[in-house]
Amino acid sequence: MAASAGIVLAGGRSSRMGTPKAALEWHGSTLLRRVAGVLARVVDGPVVVVRAPGQALPALPAQVDVVEDAREGLGPLQGLATGLAATADRAVAAFVCSTDLPFLHPAFVRRVLRALGEGADVGLPIALGHPQPLAAAYRTALAPVAERLVAAQRLRPAFLFEECMVARLDEAALRADPALAALDPDLDSVININEPADYAAARSRIAPEVTVQRFGALADGHRGPRLVRAATMAGAAAAAGVALGTHVVAALNGDQITRDGEMPLATGDTVSFLAADAGG
Amino acid sequence: MVAGGYFGRALVVHVGDGQASALPLPDDVLRGYVGGVGLGAWLMHRLGPPGVDPLAPDAPLAFVFSPMVGTPLTTSAKFAVVAKSPLTGMLNDALASSQFAISGKLTGHDAIVVTGTCARPSVLLVDGSGARLIDAGDLWGLPAAEAEKRLRERLGRGWRAATIGPAGERGVRYATISHDGRHAGRGGLGTVLGAKRLKGVAVRAATKVASAHPQAVLEAARDLRARSFGPATAKYRELGTLANLLAFNAISTLPTRNFQAATFAGAPRLAAEDLAEMRGVARSGCASCTIGCEHIYAARGGKQMRVEYENVFALGPMCGVSDPDAVLAASGRCDELGLDTISAGGTIAWAMECAERGLIDAPWLRFGDGDALLRAVQEIGARQGLGELLAEGSRRAAEQVGGGSEAFALQVKGLELPGYEPRTMQAMAIGLAVNARGADHNRSGAYEADLSGEHDRLEGGAGQVTAAIETEDRAAVMDSLILCKFLRGVFSEPFDEWATLLSAVTGWDVDGAELRQTARRIVLAKRVFNIREGWTPEDDWLPERLLSEPLRIGSGRVATLTPGRLRGMIDGYYAERGLDGEGRPDEASVAGLLLS
Repeated sequence: MAASAGIVLAGGRSSRMGTPKAALEWHGSTLLRRVAGVLARVVDGPVVVVRAPGQALPALPAQVDVVEDAREGLGPLQGLATGLAATADRAVAAFVCSTDLPFLHPAFVRRVLRALGEGADVGLPIALGHPQPLAAAYRTALAPVAERLVAAQRLRPAFLFEECMVARLDEAALRADPALAALDPDLDSVININEPADYAAARSRIAPEVTVQRFGALADGHRGPRLVRAATMAGAAAAAGVALGTHVVAALNGDQITRDGEMPLATGDTVSFLAADAGG
Repeated sequence: MVAGGYFGRALVVHVGDGQASALPLPDDVLRGYVGGVGLGAWLMHRLGPPGVDPLAPDAPLAFVFSPMVGTPLTTSAKFAVVAKSPLTGMLNDALASSQFAISGKLTGHDAIVVTGTCARPSVLLVDGSGARLIDAGDLWGLPAAEAEKRLRERLGRGWRAATIGPAGERGVRYATISHDGRHAGRGGLGTVLGAKRLKGVAVRAATKVASAHPQAVLEAARDLRARSFGPATAKYRELGTLANLLAFNAISTLPTRNFQAATFAGAPRLAAEDLAEMRGVARSGCASCTIGCEHIYAARGGKQMRVEYENVFALGPMCGVSDPDAVLAASGRCDELGLDTISAGGTIAWAMECAERGLIDAPWLRFGDGDALLRAVQEIGARQGLGELLAEGSRRAAEQVGGGSEAFALQVKGLELPGYEPRTMQAMAIGLAVNARGADHNRSGAYEADLSGEHDRLEGGAGQVTAAIETEDRAAVMDSLILCKFLRGVFSEPFDEWATLLSAVTGWDVDGAELRQTARRIVLAKRVFNIREGWTPEDDWLPERLLSEPLRIGSGRVATLTPGRLRGMIDGYYAERGLDGEGRPDEASVAGLLLS
């Protein structure tokens, strides 16, 4: 059993936006691909996207599971119940969020998940003036509780919070985390996009600042770390002047190796480009 | 009729009495084992007395060529040296690349096997006139390169000599055999030659060998040559294997201070990127190679030397030494003495930790001390002082010293680990644990899976096992054909493409599926040899340190390789290989190995 899963609720109607938010482009990726990718970077269990019945989704990595709400139009608690049920036998907890969080930072996800470490059932950020139930951590054992509330037409997350132990994380508590304070000091992680103006504002923001470094023959006279703006691995590769592929791989923060150009990057990341052949 | 590219015989020379005979190599054996390490494994089964002491007169040592040698195929001028290892007690093979391969094969033999022991220091000569011994009293004690130079002066043009240094003469268990600056490095093959009182083997071409389809070979050679200039080999061409150092440091796979860490603060001082700028002298390549991975650096005092990742890793980060002058000097001294740098560095690093823990009386030996490193290398080569202990390798030395030092003797089957951290490369972990040669990066190559992006390199499991088997199989074929593994990236369908090459040279109708079976046969034959020589399931395992000391890496994650996880991967490996739960094959599998 993994410690944590990621659940992205993609089933909203996007009525104010006028177009499906999951497919909105942001610096070379779709919002859904980006949010799912950010969660995949943090959790050790599955990443699950919950969609409305028959809803078309933009492309996702093969490792991401897609499940459907049993009923349409019942709001986020329905999606939450579906997502928790889909992960309950694979992870103890899940970070649950909507698809419209372009600035969601891995450090925020880590901090919120950690709130469950002291026995709470829900880690609920209170940020930018509001509770953030769609950028929160839940024990997956809450799945039957959420399902019961949906069946009873008690569809607001607040009803769920009445029935479990909630660790509320105000901004001070969030910023007490050094990594989060350094990488997302304004808690932009919870800024969501509801209307075209929100989307326009998000698109006007430049991509995250990341450090790139090329090693070996790839350095080609450009040794040492360099700051670039890139929201995806492919963007970082382009900024560094290399192309991911058969002979070139990237290491994210000295950890996982990838050739996935759509892997999302966040402020403060370091990307190392290496020869794929490690023969010595 | 003998297949193209072969002579269909091995020359077996008993150096005790100078008698030589031809051992016929049937077509099914050649097709089943190809050449190089594969054919070498078959020869050891056939000619090695079961249970023989690797340093006893009866223990055979074989120089094995391949059907590709002498063709215009790039990187094909390679030979394998194969024997039972005095370091591991198991089958050992090491490759080197030079004109020795071409001249040796064109003596008219697919392999030259040496048994017996000379009455006095000698050199074995093999050419069209057969085999004979000459006195080598004046060469005994010389560095390998100097002995080779004097031999060529004495013998004249056309002779190529593979020689040992003083370490091989003195029985250091990880001595090398060298030719033209390349070394058959691992497992103590130079020690075996030294025990036979052979300073070297010199060969001179006397005949020719034809490919079955010369035009097809020529066209394939042109194609391969063109591909060898592409991006797949850029790393080797532009900076050489030392390009690994900074990259490995960035991803916490650079073993440091006897595997107590996986990053080294002094790495930039030793990096190819800086050394190439400050000390780079020339770039070169092996005979018949168009990659040109060899990078020559200038050491203090003006001496020039070839530098590779493994010798810099083993004598640098592994020993905590960041002074490039000290590392280059130690590497150069290892070459002169004829020492495997990986085993030398690994054993010295173990001794440094023992000294710091007070387990051995060597207060002068400390991590990071370049002078101490040089002294240790010197004492090993001379088998003097602490060198008498360290000449035995880390496993035997730890057995003598005790005090828990076995836990941090970083070896598998007695062979010291190369510069790949198994806790952060867990496909490599399984490759290192089960490989017949011991802790070996060239016969498993599972690091390819760790850097593929297809697996979590910190979470070894079934995917890594399958990938490790694939890389082990590929290595078995490449090392038998023989083609340089630095070329592997140019093949998109490797088994099929290698089969096409082999068919063009030999005339056999070989396909990729057959070569996959060949790979499995070679891997199994090595295991069966080891079982015959006393292998037990406990030999397929990793050192205690790697299984009990997690590593925290830069991202904050902790790399943990538990005994349970390793056990699970080994069990998976056995199952996929068709072995029983203790790693042994059934009788039917052994019967298919053409060994009887």
